[in-house]
Amino acid sequence: MLYRSSLRYLTRHPWLMGLSVLGVALGVAVVVSIDLANSSAGRAFELSAETVTGTATHQVTGAAGALPDSVYRTLRMEAGVRPSAPVVEGYASVEGDERTFQVVGIDPFADAPFRPYLGTGPGGDVDLGTFMTQDAALLSAPTADEVGVTAGDTLRVDVEGTQHSVVVGGRIEPQDERTRRALANLLVVDVSTAQALFDRQGQLSRVDLILPSDDAEQTTALERIRAVLPEGTRLQRAEARTQAVEQMTRAFDLNLTALSLLALVVGAFLIYNTMTFSIVQRRGLIGRLRALGVTRRQIFGLVLGEAALLGAVGTGLGVLLGIVLASGLVHLLAQTINDLYFVVEVSALTITPWIVVKGGLLGLGTTIAAAIPPAREATNAPVSTVLRRSTQEASVQAMAPRLALAGALLGALSGTVLALTSQGIIVSYVALLGLLVAAALLTPWAVMGLARAARPLLGRLFGVIGRMAARGVVTSLSRTGVAIAALMVAVAATIGVGLMIDSFRGTVEDWLTQSLQADVYVQPPSEVFRRSTATLDSTVAARLRAVDGVASAYSVRRAAVEADVGPTDLVAIEPGPETEDVYRLKSGPPETAWPQLQNGSAVFVSEPYAYRHDLAVGDTVRLQTDRGAQALPIAAVYYDYGSDLGVVMMSRTAYTQFYDDRGVSGLAFYAEEERDVDALIADMRAAVGGLQDVLIRSNRALRETSLKVFDRTFTITTVLRLLALVVAFIGVLSALMALVLEREREMGVLRATGMTPPQVGGYVTLQTGLMGAIAGVLSLPLGYVLAYVLVFVINKRSFGWTLQLNVPPDVLLQALGLAVGAALLAGLYPAWKMAQSSPATALRDE
Amino acid sequence: MSRSRTLSIGLVALAVALGLGAYWLTSNPEEDRLQASVSVADAMSSDTTGYRRAAESREFTFPADHGPHPGYKNEWWYLTGTLNGPDGRPFGYELTIFRFALAPPSDTTRPRSASDWRTNQFYMAHFAVTDSAGQAFYADERFGRGGAGLAGAHADPLRVWLEDWSMESVGPEPFPLRLRAQQDGAAIDLTVRPQKPRILQGDRGLSQKGPGVGNASYYYSYTRLATEGTVVSGGDTTQVTGQSWMDREWSTSALGPDQEGWDWFALQLDDGRDLMYYQLRNTDGSASRFSEGTIVGPDGNTTPIARDKVTLDVLDTWTSPDGTHTYPIAWRLRIPSADVDVRVTALLPNQEMDVSVRYWEGAVRVTGSDTGRGYVELTGYGDSAASPAS
Repeated sequence: MLYRSSLRYLTRHPWLMGLSVLGVALGVAVVVSIDLANSSAGRAFELSAETVTGTATHQVTGAAGALPDSVYRTLRMEAGVRPSAPVVEGYASVEGDERTFQVVGIDPFADAPFRPYLGTGPGGDVDLGTFMTQDAALLSAPTADEVGVTAGDTLRVDVEGTQHSVVVGGRIEPQDERTRRALANLLVVDVSTAQALFDRQGQLSRVDLILPSDDAEQTTALERIRAVLPEGTRLQRAEARTQAVEQMTRAFDLNLTALSLLALVVGAFLIYNTMTFSIVQRRGLIGRLRALGVTRRQIFGLVLGEAALLGAVGTGLGVLLGIVLASGLVHLLAQTINDLYFVVEVSALTITPWIVVKGGLLGLGTTIAAAIPPAREATNAPVSTVLRRSTQEASVQAMAPRLALAGALLGALSGTVLALTSQGIIVSYVALLGLLVAAALLTPWAVMGLARAARPLLGRLFGVIGRMAARGVVTSLSRTGVAIAALMVAVAATIGVGLMIDSFRGTVEDWLTQSLQADVYVQPPSEVFRRSTATLDSTVAARLRAVDGVASAYSVRRAAVEADVGPTDLVAIEPGPETEDVYRLKSGPPETAWPQLQNGSAVFVSEPYAYRHDLAVGDTVRLQTDRGAQALPIAAVYYDYGSDLGVVMMSRTAYTQFYDDRGVSGLAFYAEEERDVDALIADMRAAVGGLQDVLIRSNRALRETSLKVFDRTFTITTVLRLLALVVAFIGVLSALMALVLEREREMGVLRATGMTPPQVGGYVTLQTGLMGAIAGVLSLPLGYVLAYVLVFVINKRSFGWTLQLNVPPDVLLQALGLAVGAALLAGLYPAWKMAQSSPATALRDE
Repeated sequence: MSRSRTLSIGLVALAVALGLGAYWLTSNPEEDRLQASVSVADAMSSDTTGYRRAAESREFTFPADHGPHPGYKNEWWYLTGTLNGPDGRPFGYELTIFRFALAPPSDTTRPRSASDWRTNQFYMAHFAVTDSAGQAFYADERFGRGGAGLAGAHADPLRVWLEDWSMESVGPEPFPLRLRAQQDGAAIDLTVRPQKPRILQGDRGLSQKGPGVGNASYYYSYTRLATEGTVVSGGDTTQVTGQSWMDREWSTSALGPDQEGWDWFALQLDDGRDLMYYQLRNTDGSASRFSEGTIVGPDGNTTPIARDKVTLDVLDTWTSPDGTHTYPIAWRLRIPSADVDVRVTALLPNQEMDVSVRYWEGAVRVTGSDTGRGYVELTGYGDSAASPAS
């Protein structure tokens, strides 16, 4: 019978229940989708890494991403290290296809033990006559079909802006779905072809090895190999490289996950609200049940059971919705990773049971946790008082100051945690959650104060109805409090995240203005925007420098090297008279630091690099170079918002001294006084026409492109922010609907005492508008605190950046408008319904 | 209660459906090895267009002809030898380096590449050590491209190598030639010096192997080379001395379609004569008319041996452990015109080269009218109907 009454209640309020379910579903969907998108991108990366790593246990790599191929000869011919295989890797795009292809150059005679699926080696199916003697590539059969080529056809391949023709030497037929995915973006070529494509004659990317798994044997093998390896080369476990790359996105992933949880927190408020309302509505029923002898435990179980039911349905829907959402988000995420960190092509979602279970447990757990307070409220009250409503409201009003005190204490605690701990992103997020809960606890008390303050004003503006509306907010505090808190948390979250993005963007904009002072920038197209190691063709560079009207030119070289602290992006610059204006030093005396950089006796590190590896001026970085490991003192830490991985900067002189690489990644040109920059750019384009297809841009165009990429990398954050807002809106909608529906009787009384339907509608609208305004006003300080914490604590701890907190008034006004608008919109339907209700029906109790 | 039961059933059904959905979506196996096969355009390797052919006898010039002849599809530097340790312990070795062309040198449709890994030549090498006292036979095979310095051949100074297996002149002259190779458990480091002049096989060095012009090879030999150095077997290094035999041959095609393999004898007799005889086998098992041989006297003068002057009878066979290949391992060889009536017996029966093409290549002992030692090569005795070089 209990279940039946429960069921009848749930089915009688389909809208309310539907909204609650939707709220949970959205919350879960956001969490699941971010989790799925993150893990799919991760899996896609692992799979592609596994595809090219194959069965290698160890790899020999060079100091700056390049290994002389003599190292391979030495290993094979002097040390007799087998199996071993040379690899030349890179990226290319193929005409007629959007994807970025991973190009892997192999030696078919050495490769079979490593990548047997390629069918190379003796007895394999690859026609070596085609594969080795001309520029030929193998690609997977489904990909070949998509591109529309078959064996013997010619592919147009673009590498860093230079076009090449490659013959399709064969099709790799994947035997299963996983292999299909693994090979989808792979072009397999001979080492000779890869060296020609990437202009890396005499160089390899690495040498793959399979060493014995037995510890003693492996140690012997490692010693034997190390003995013949030249200075600057590095022998490491194959997984170490993959892991190091995956590490790059850790802070980024964590922040996305935390933001997704915010949506769930808002969803939890919603469930709490719904359950509280349902208890209040059935106060009478519960009282009668208790009077009939139903135990507290049974009531408690009943309420939790209902919550679990709502939670289960919502979570189930949420998981499915999350999967749908993830298939969109994963492409945004992949784009961001491509812009910031490394190339990853995500062809499909990888859905693991664990993610689904995790999302399910989180959804159900949150729902049940949010239902516990209302369930306790339903069971704890004595039978007699349960039957009376006013008792509860009175007690909530009495409790408000105590809740506020608890909130203040929690807020203080969270603030202390944030102030005292210096590391730990998770701790920071927990403290942030603490701040949100503290703000929610403070809400009822604040609502009482604000509503009282608003009463005279509303009274003057709208008369009796105005005063009644203000009073109504306080008299039903047990529900309005929660609704306002939910709206406030949601709006504050959007303010916080919005301000954070704004501040970040403002900082980056300032930085770009400062660092892009040259007139023209030239670089080859690159797969990863922020970490381009693409090389400018030497002919192109020479011709550009010779263009009439160029006053001075500065080269920059970006290289991926190994340091004692892990993989490191190294930037080599040519310091000139203008350079000191381009970089802003955070620490280190400019007057001594610049000369030290110039003469190669020291390096600079960027702020994120210093933070990530806990380095400061005076410390040293140990870099792997072609001259062996070099310990270089840090002369300065400079501001750089280009990469959260951070960079080490040295002068070109030092770079040339330590590395054999003579390539250039980009050139910055200052024009002569009288020279028109647009005309200069046109001349430059004409000078290099038909050669490498390089990007030649004015400083303004480059700044715009950089900001566009910045905005693109924040798209996913913006999407999350909007989703949290949608959840909050649904929360407010259901809270207000519940509130108004619950007061059908009150409205009946109002109608019976002579209020017209428009007056009742106006009353309801005014009240919801007031609630929105209160939530909006309360969300401003909370939003600011949130933004402060995100900018100065979370971002700092995640990426090490110093950002300036910008608070544009329009963001605040928008938030206020948003809150009132959402509340008014949410109040429309109840207002209309109330105005329509017949007093007689409403007054008939139950 | 019926409604709540319906609801419960509905919920359970929903949960099951979600679970199944999740399973279906996630059931791609994660731990499997990547599996694929490769399909290619029509292979061009069987085509002989654009290659030079051994169509007529030629002038040999040395040292140039010790080096590679890239206009021909196949070529090999073949050395075998029988050795003795200080206590007379017998060993045998084979070190052969093959060269193959992937594309004819005249092919101009293939753009040149700036990479020195680009090549149309690749090398294969076989290395074996027979240790009859230790009942051990080691055999290994390697491949490598003729680029990036990994494998190659040049005439002056003479050096033929595939990674760390090599034949290399010690001084400015082609000989003495140093042979080095090693694999798990076995190695050689030997120096060979000819004891007899070089001889041209067949018709002044043109060795017809099948019907039709061009189904022939250019072929010369050093039939007796004094050999000294070390052999490693099972980790033990032994100082050895003995005799080697070197064959040099290059061609574009040799065997006709009706020929399935050969039995090749390279015997060094204790009276100072060396006997080379190859019997090409037709698919019906009979001896091909293109079979022939040469006897080299102690002073180096040569006597050709026609097919009809030779009688070869199999006395014993050996079957590989997997049962797929059965090889003769003992013969009675009679050449009455040269007063030869000998029994040729394998030092070990299991001298099978189980590499990409399976064949038998082993040290043998000669008894009967003459005594001596030598090497025998047997091809086309199982599933693969060709020589290692075709």
